[in-house]
Amino acid sequence: MSSREIIVENLVKRFNGSVVAVDGISFNVGAGEIFGFLGPNGAGKSTTISILTTLSLPTSGTARVGGYDVVSEAEEVRRIAGVALQDVGLDPLMKSMELLTLQGQLFGASRKAARARARELLDLVRLSDATERRVGKYSGGMRRRLDLALALVHEPEILFLDEPTTGLDPASRRDVWEEVRRLNKKLGMTIFLTTQYLEEADVLADRIAIIDRGKIAAEGTPTELKAQLSSESINITFRDETAVTQARAILEGISDRVQTDRKVLRLYMSRAAETLPAIVGQLQRAALDPISLTITQPTLDDVFLAVTGQRFQGQTTEEAQAA
Amino acid sequence: MAIATDMFRTQATQAGVRKLPLLLQIGLITWRSLVTISRTPEALLPPVAISIFFLVIYRSTLGGAANFLPGLSGSSYLGFILPLSIVSSSLSGAGIAAQNLVRDVSSGYFNKLLLTPISRAALLLGPIFAGAVILGLQASIVITAALLMGLESATGLPGLLAVIGLAVLLGTGFAGFTVSAALGSGSAAATQGASFIFFPFTFLTASFVPLALLDGWLKTAAQFNPITYVLEAMRSLLNTGWDTEALLKGVVACLLLAVAMYALAIFSLRVRTRRS
Repeated sequence: MSSREIIVENLVKRFNGSVVAVDGISFNVGAGEIFGFLGPNGAGKSTTISILTTLSLPTSGTARVGGYDVVSEAEEVRRIAGVALQDVGLDPLMKSMELLTLQGQLFGASRKAARARARELLDLVRLSDATERRVGKYSGGMRRRLDLALALVHEPEILFLDEPTTGLDPASRRDVWEEVRRLNKKLGMTIFLTTQYLEEADVLADRIAIIDRGKIAAEGTPTELKAQLSSESINITFRDETAVTQARAILEGISDRVQTDRKVLRLYMSRAAETLPAIVGQLQRAALDPISLTITQPTLDDVFLAVTGQRFQGQTTEEAQAA
Repeated sequence: MAIATDMFRTQATQAGVRKLPLLLQIGLITWRSLVTISRTPEALLPPVAISIFFLVIYRSTLGGAANFLPGLSGSSYLGFILPLSIVSSSLSGAGIAAQNLVRDVSSGYFNKLLLTPISRAALLLGPIFAGAVILGLQASIVITAALLMGLESATGLPGLLAVIGLAVLLGTGFAGFTVSAALGSGSAAATQGASFIFFPFTFLTASFVPLALLDGWLKTAAQFNPITYVLEAMRSLLNTGWDTEALLKGVVACLLLAVAMYALAIFSLRVRTRRS
């Protein structure tokens, strides 16, 4: 058994000598962890995954997957790692049973064992009743599930999923999430997953790294990342901007950070609910009547904004649906 | 379910050292290619139909004139022209191996196979061997058609089998080229185009009359064209009898072509699978 860990140090990938896709990233993924690699399109996610899965070579730096070096021990990495790339790689002319059986045999199992394993996996991804149909006739969600099953044939200890839910409908997306959790819990599989959905990283990952323009901008558990901002915010809306200015003068000292956005005053602080009564009291003494007053929990989007200085470019899952 | 997993573990995962023998790998990939080829019969039939069509046309238009050629009277012109028909079906048949590879490259399945612990050679040879099987079948069908038209083989059934063998040998050489095109371009159109490069070679040779009757530049071209020697070998088998020299030349021509084309294919595979 391998160490089930992923250790990446100063990984750099330059294309054609100049374009830097991955710019000196380092991170560790512990055994049995679900690690979310979050970033917008073109941030360097797929490049990183293709290096970690031995499909391409790093320009410099090292990466060990399950204790094996991805450059010098590529064969070993392939044995212990399962990979489902962003573009599913399935031959449309073959049937699911054939694909899975062949995959098992290529990993050294007898035909009989490979077939048994294939049946088991088809059950797992709920494709047992579609084994006689050619893959070309499958829906997008079915293809994605079959691709996942293919990645699992040789019982990998570490599973790489490159944007596993991009382009899926909400029901299929939840299926995949459930599946990922189950594999992680039941088999203790280490899972490295890239995503451009904040929601997905938040829901699934034990730890997250945010990658932006080839660099890791932040890393931690979703809770840690949000806490780093120390920023729940209290949003107070007034009738006019004069009131906002007055209120700002009074409340400036209370919070870590203040923002004015036309008629809205935003106060960032770590314990908003506890501070609320004091704020209300001060506003009343100054005879300033707010129209509304709300508390907002930070989202990963806020984290992203804070660490990269820009709004998240990736689509939300809802936007993806609408598109 | 647990049993299946355990069985798999003992056989595959646990025995991380166990590597599938290369021949078995090639066998698996070849079988898989044949299964998928059989699912697109529409790609298989036209080459055979066209070969038979040419056979009929050549015989009808040139068969009579052939009476004036030394040693080519009557039905023996069928034995003379049949090899041309078989060679051109070898050419188009070789494209099938390449089309299979193109489909794998564009569907991404090729990458999936690259991530399994099998040899790169198996990825290359599997589709080529599958192509060879198909070529053999196509040649057999064309020969059967010729037999129905009255072909008489001077060397009997063993000679006909030798003709099929030569066709397969030649076709797998071509396949090395079309497969290179497939790996290099990853595009179906480019691969199709590349298959046509060899087409003129079936005419820059002793296509319709024996080599001895050719003259000038065409004769020179034909002498350097490996297909000439394959045709001569096949013709000797069908019309004159076992001619060791002709056979040897035919086989050597096929092998030379194959070596050159496979070197190209291996180079293309290197480029395609180079981890950059």
